[in-house]
Amino acid sequence: MDEEGKMATPPPVSLSAEHIVKHFGGVVALADGNLDVQSGEVLALLGANGSGKSTLSKVITGVLEPNGGELVLDGEVVNFTSPQAAQKRGIAAVYQELSLIPDMTVAENIWLGHEPLKWGVRIDGQAVRKRTQELLALFEGTVQESLRPEEPVSALPPDERQVVEILKVLSLNPRLIILDEATASLDSRQVRRLFELISSWKEAGKAIIFVSHRMEEIFRVADRAVILRNGKSKGAEVIAETTEQQLVNLMIGDVAAVPRQLAHDPVPPDAAVRLQLEEVYTDVLRGVSLSLKDGELLGLGGLQGQGQTNLLRAVFGDIPFFGTIAVSGELVRFSQPRQAMRHGVAYVPGDRGSEGLLLSRSILENFQLPSWRRYGFPLRMERAKQDANRVADTLSLVRSSLEASAQNLSGGNAQKVVIGKWLLRQPQLLLLNDPTKGVDVGTKREFYNLLAELRRAGTAILFYSSDDEELLGLCDRVLVLHDGKVSAELSGERLTRSDLVTASMGAAQDNDRVPDREVAA
Amino acid sequence: MRNRLQLKYLPLRFPSLFPLILLLVAVTVNAILQPNLLELRVMNGNLRSFLPLMLVAVGQTLVIIGAGIDLSIGAIVSLVTAVLVTNLLPDSPPLVIIGVVALACAAGMAAGALNGFGVAVLRLPPIVTTYATGFIFSGLALWILPRPGGSMPEQLARLYRRVTPLNIPLGIWIALILILLWALFRHTRYGSYLIATGGKPEAAYATAVPVNAVRFGSYVAAGLFAALGALVLTLGTGSGDPRIGVGITTTGGMTLDSIVAVVLGGTRLSGGQGGVAGSILGVIILGLIRNIISFADVPSWNQTLVDATIIIVALAAPGLIGWIRDRRRRALPPKEMVQEVAG
Amino acid sequence: MRDGFRLSPTLLAVLLAAGLFFLGGIIRPGFVNPSQAINIVRLAAFLGIIAAGQTLVIISGGEGIDLSIGAVVTLAAILTYRINAGQNEMVLPALAAALAAGAAVGFVNGIGVAALRVPPLVMTLGMAGVVQGLILSYTQGNMVGSTAPIMSQYISRPLVLGIPGVVFIWLILALLMWLLLERSRYGKHLFAIGVNRTTARLSGVHVPLMVILTYTLSGLLAAFGGFILLGFTGVVFLNLGGPYLFPSVAAVVVGGTAISGGKGSYSGTMAGALVLTLITSLLTAMQMEDAFRQIILGVTLLVLISLYGRQRGLRQ
Repeated sequence: MDEEGKMATPPPVSLSAEHIVKHFGGVVALADGNLDVQSGEVLALLGANGSGKSTLSKVITGVLEPNGGELVLDGEVVNFTSPQAAQKRGIAAVYQELSLIPDMTVAENIWLGHEPLKWGVRIDGQAVRKRTQELLALFEGTVQESLRPEEPVSALPPDERQVVEILKVLSLNPRLIILDEATASLDSRQVRRLFELISSWKEAGKAIIFVSHRMEEIFRVADRAVILRNGKSKGAEVIAETTEQQLVNLMIGDVAAVPRQLAHDPVPPDAAVRLQLEEVYTDVLRGVSLSLKDGELLGLGGLQGQGQTNLLRAVFGDIPFFGTIAVSGELVRFSQPRQAMRHGVAYVPGDRGSEGLLLSRSILENFQLPSWRRYGFPLRMERAKQDANRVADTLSLVRSSLEASAQNLSGGNAQKVVIGKWLLRQPQLLLLNDPTKGVDVGTKREFYNLLAELRRAGTAILFYSSDDEELLGLCDRVLVLHDGKVSAELSGERLTRSDLVTASMGAAQDNDRVPDREVAA
Repeated sequence: MRNRLQLKYLPLRFPSLFPLILLLVAVTVNAILQPNLLELRVMNGNLRSFLPLMLVAVGQTLVIIGAGIDLSIGAIVSLVTAVLVTNLLPDSPPLVIIGVVALACAAGMAAGALNGFGVAVLRLPPIVTTYATGFIFSGLALWILPRPGGSMPEQLARLYRRVTPLNIPLGIWIALILILLWALFRHTRYGSYLIATGGKPEAAYATAVPVNAVRFGSYVAAGLFAALGALVLTLGTGSGDPRIGVGITTTGGMTLDSIVAVVLGGTRLSGGQGGVAGSILGVIILGLIRNIISFADVPSWNQTLVDATIIIVALAAPGLIGWIRDRRRRALPPKEMVQEVAG
Repeated sequence: MRDGFRLSPTLLAVLLAAGLFFLGGIIRPGFVNPSQAINIVRLAAFLGIIAAGQTLVIISGGEGIDLSIGAVVTLAAILTYRINAGQNEMVLPALAAALAAGAAVGFVNGIGVAALRVPPLVMTLGMAGVVQGLILSYTQGNMVGSTAPIMSQYISRPLVLGIPGVVFIWLILALLMWLLLERSRYGKHLFAIGVNRTTARLSGVHVPLMVILTYTLSGLLAAFGGFILLGFTGVVFLNLGGPYLFPSVAAVVVGGTAISGGKGSYSGTMAGALVLTLITSLLTAMQMEDAFRQIILGVTLLVLISLYGRQRGLRQ
């Protein structure tokens, strides 16, 4: 880096991974991973959950040690013993699970380990602040004004944490950047900004590996794509010469394409109102009202962090609220999720690993956690197992046994367990917080079918998704949240992509979160 | 809009706020009961008696910030005490003194290195590891010095007890130096490494922080500070007791007191946050509480109860305040709602 | 699917105990005989009973640990000693009082940990101080009272086939603990909060209540341990329970219960108690100096923890 803190152009890079193998205990995560990438190129790494994408990228960055195969960097075989070693050679990754330290500030996090120094030892506070501000300027207009270098990361919403994560990698001025699901928690403006940055990195001679589930993004940004299936790489396609369908086929094998649209069963007009909210306020929500009938699938849309999660958690009794919430016509004020559960409410949280599962416990215990009460004392384990097996079969959960621990499940199967534990209770009101995030295409389709079945059985479903296509394809009605308020209710002919995007940006033009050009578009 | 100056981020910005308030209360109560508290001679004596624990607590702080804990730190004090008093005579020449002190520091650091090896290299849980090594260290102390005794160089001890540069007690000087050293350390790369290691080790590791080396180093540093604590302890008493630092649960035991002081000082026990200044305040608060009890004519059979109850209340106070605040916040509607109803 | 073949910690500890026992026979001929075996099981029973509550607290996670156990053991023994005053018919009221006192201490611990967010290590250490203070205030240094004859008869003297009552009490407790941990809603919820409190709460577990209940149970079980211990010692003194505190943690850990919570069993703790008791007995039998005894105990503990107490590495 030169003295003005600008990025000097790094030397060109070429990296290839050849026949990489990685086992975890007896489980083969990666059987034959191959890819190659060079300066000025964006390579997409594609695959269903558990296909080995993250494993391969972690091997490249030195986080995991491969059991076989070779990494060739600039024509020379390398063996990274730590992330540090990979960083020294100009390879850095934006991880899917965040690598930020919550109690440290934005600036401390970005520069951790390579802080500009004064007198060789002391961290140069001024330089750190200045360079952090320069980095933050890259995302100016897409983040809140209050995102400043001295802000503790624990005070930031998920999208801004992800931005900090990206800037942290950028501060290393790497030659090869790996973006592992880096767009998952960004909103559409932030994604667009990131893509602008990616093209400038390309021009500057960096190589980029882009790991994503979002097909549309891959077509927007990538030059080539490597597809992984069951831990093996299946060819490298040139994006300009392929179609979405071809890539999907490579990812899922012989299975036919996935129809996104499901038939809408109209909600019977005499269906009872299951959930009613009047002027609900929380830390984030600012007066939300809605009503949801039995058998209805109501979507929640909008940019990330506009209060969708908050709304679901308030209904489930997980956070305090003001205003009126009525479940089945009865006014409620739950202060604990278990009270909501007694009223037939179920909540599938947004983060499987940290909110939905007991990772080190068995599948059985995960399924039955909310329901042990009904098995008496001593617990009738045989009946509990039968019930759990029944639900597991309905969900076609891939399992060796119910005693297997939940941490070995792939993303899609893990989500099935989270949903399954509520199916056992036959909820009347199901709250879903972005349930298909990071779930593979096949499981998604099963999940859509399940939702249709539940609706037919009369379950009322409140469904937040960060995937616009999903909302448009599945819901009768979509409420778009912006800044803690409902900015639009879309249904029938108004339920279109452009209406959804427009409403996501907020109605008022003078809103500081929305630049004018966004509303115009 | 999120409120970025929420109370819950206050401890992150001003970690010594709560201990400062506690200290003020303790000094006031103590000064009422003991009017000569702020005289130089009394202050010097008081601070000197707090000094060993102050050094030990600084070592404990480093380990705790790195998300560890050192239950053997009192035993290290015993071990180093034994090394010191068995190798020094009342009239040892300066060169010998320097040599023995260096040996004592090396012993402390070696003990710390054993802890660091267990926790950072073998990846054993810190609580049980340092509990086990504590047995080893106190056994060694008993082996070196089977019963209380030994001696310290008289001139050095006298100097230590009397010196008050610029009429400011020695304890204050040392406390200030420790705080300054911490401030300098915090602004080096290694300071960041320590906080990061304690805050979220996986994330720190992925960011190329040498997590294991940092953990190891924190235990070695704790061993060094325990050795320094042992040095001032023996200088103060003039002889050594191999069981001085032992007794993990007994009130007055250095291990327990150091942990309580660290927590009173606002450092989070789970790591990744805190500082040395708070722990030093914590030690002084702890000492003043015991002063207050002895000056308040509490019957001797009730002193432990009063002491322990005050400490528990002080430890629970931030939680109690937080609990009341949570309840109150839950009872108040948000601003926007009030405004809309009103207007 | 199991991730590879792994010896269960409980089995490992049992094998270790057997190995140690015969090692004792090699080092000191005469160590291996039925009465010595019974004696060791008897001694282990006291530790095992005292460590039962510790097992629950450590499984509950959240850095859970109960360091007030030693003081509660002493308090319970002193209360029993004073209340039953040597009369058989006063044993049950004394037991009730001791259990109530233990549960009360545990309840305060639970409130401190769950509601006031004091880290368990300092909360329970602080309460240990308070209980010690209570003991001093209550007794003023005078240990008045005596042990009822029925207590030593049913606890420490041989009851059936030369086996003392405490062993049977321990086995009954083991059955109850198994039912509690593996066959009750409380147990399932306990493991759940040990693994992940957010998941547990979002699945309807009342986490604070569980924490308070668990510390209360720990206090209660420690008090029961104090009552049983009195049946063995017959007299009380100020530091009666102190020496059992850290062995109670060590027994739990040696028994394979993860110090981070969410994983473990009481059978493991029982095996751990046997191992620790054997080590101590061996060192005593070898008439080792106190200094060396401590060193060897420390080294052995360190080795035992390294055998299976290792945490997952950052790099795989």
